[in-house]
Amino acid sequence: MAKILVVDDDPDLVESVTIILESKNHEVVQAYGGIEGLEKAKSEKPDAIILDVMMPDKDGYEVCKELKGDTEYSNIPILLLTAVVSQIPNSTYTSRMGMETEADDYVDKPVEPGELVKLVERLLAG
Amino acid sequence: MAKHNEINILIIDDETVLREGSERILSREGWTTATAENGESGLSLLEKNEFQILLLDLMMPGISGMDVLKEVQEHYPELLVIVVTGYATIENAVSAMKNGAYDFIPKPFTPDQLRLVIQRAIKNLTLKREAELLRLEQQKSLQDIANEKNRTLTIINHMADGVLVTDQNGCVVLHNPAITRMLELEKELPVEKNILEWSGNREFTEMLENVLNPKNSHSQGISRELSWGEPLQRFFIAHSAPVRNEQGDILGSVTIFNDVTRFKELDRMKSDFVNMASHELRSPLSSIRQQISVITEGLAGEISTGQEKILNRVLQRIDGHIAMISNLLDLSRIEAGRLVQQKERIILPEIIEEVVELMSGEAEKKGITFKVTIDSQVFPVHADRQSMETVLTNLVSNAIKYNREGGAISINAQNSGEFVELKVSDNGVGIEKENLSQIFDKFYRIRTEKTRQVVGSGLGLPLVKDIVEAHLGMITVESNPEKETTFTVLLPRGMN
Repeated sequence: MAKILVVDDDPDLVESVTIILESKNHEVVQAYGGIEGLEKAKSEKPDAIILDVMMPDKDGYEVCKELKGDTEYSNIPILLLTAVVSQIPNSTYTSRMGMETEADDYVDKPVEPGELVKLVERLLAG
Repeated sequence: MAKHNEINILIIDDETVLREGSERILSREGWTTATAENGESGLSLLEKNEFQILLLDLMMPGISGMDVLKEVQEHYPELLVIVVTGYATIENAVSAMKNGAYDFIPKPFTPDQLRLVIQRAIKNLTLKREAELLRLEQQKSLQDIANEKNRTLTIINHMADGVLVTDQNGCVVLHNPAITRMLELEKELPVEKNILEWSGNREFTEMLENVLNPKNSHSQGISRELSWGEPLQRFFIAHSAPVRNEQGDILGSVTIFNDVTRFKELDRMKSDFVNMASHELRSPLSSIRQQISVITEGLAGEISTGQEKILNRVLQRIDGHIAMISNLLDLSRIEAGRLVQQKERIILPEIIEEVVELMSGEAEKKGITFKVTIDSQVFPVHADRQSMETVLTNLVSNAIKYNREGGAISINAQNSGEFVELKVSDNGVGIEKENLSQIFDKFYRIRTEKTRQVVGSGLGLPLVKDIVEAHLGMITVESNPEKETTFTVLLPRGMN
């Protein structure tokens, strides 16, 4: 079906998302950090990206911004996996909230398998 | 000093007749007298005893009356001297008066004349004594005032809080070292200059203008948090109050500054800690939840009904924990006064619909139905969107959790005076009267046979209450055990 890049620093989460997506016959490319995610987005040219926000090496907002700022990759739809924590005023992530709009969609973790599938379908449909 | 009414009179006269005659006349009046026949013995009597009045003959052999007078002026300035002199030597009397004698009486004199002149002297003495008493009293009062002033100044100067007193024009009339330190001011404040000009702090200026404004004559004072200074910002809670005279006119202002910079810093550290902790707590739970839901959905192979039942229970517990972490986070934010800062115009019915939509899945599982009644004229409110969602989500979620299978939830929104009234009712287990007052307490959960299976954090309702109160509203609860529970939220209406 589609090639989807899953980026999260938590390998367990990457694994479970992979299982969910593979159950719908999608091809999954895994990345375990922001930098690796960015590299794979460029080398693998996936049809969609599921991107965690809070990652130690390079956070999801930055990855998203770089991809959306590059015309070669800006059309790849991105689903941001946010945490409620990212909405706290005065925290490091709040100042970058505005960038969320650059992503095509976002959802709070944890996400139900059924909902994730729906969101990905919507993402792929554009 | 002699007792108040005691009068001792010394008579110095070389003429025996006059000396003894005078003594007789005066003793009869009740005054104590002593006599001396010449200057020397008179002076020695003065040395030994205390006299108030001296009846002094000027013409005496030995030391003259004039010399005695000089001696008296030097050593006994308080003594009233009445000189006795013949008509032929009236000039002597005049010069004696110039030298400090109080009065004179010409010889020969009648008993009445003598009594009269002595009575006058006594009256003068009495007046002098009264004046002296008054002076002492006044001195004491002045001392008291000075002491009081000193005490007040000492208190003000040694207070840890800053004190700033202005007149009605906003000019500083009094301040203490603490405020100089806090605001990093020059030692000498620009007294003549209006504080509104030199403070350079708009919030403070506004506050003081408000307090000093005669139109706000009924105002009792204002408290406000101020931030001050660049680049090292300091934070103060300032309490400002007008000073009035008896007629109620504003004479000036007193402002007390309480330095809360350290508390702010601690608060920021607490928030950072809570942020970090909740992220670290949530992340693994989210991950675990995700993995279990992959199993329960059958994506990792077939599972038995028994396994699914257990795993679903595990998911519920995890959800409870995740919700608790979110609430803990929200609560720490609202305590920091941050949660309600982004107020906007909100149409509550819209949020009600969203929340009902969001919770309908959970309600369906228990066969619970919603009955939403909304007055189409309901006022908008001025509120923080996310907070309002939290309020409704918590109330509706509770109404589902504590409801019975196949129960009903009714949600009502209507205007009530200047408020919007929101009611969420369920016909579930109800709340016993003795528990009602505690349900808004943090971490309080009612533990009964019926609620044991319900997953909750005990933080939902305290959070709801904090939010509602931060919006100047109120929340109440009524319950009929085994039948129904109704939560009523009143929120002040916003502008149209």
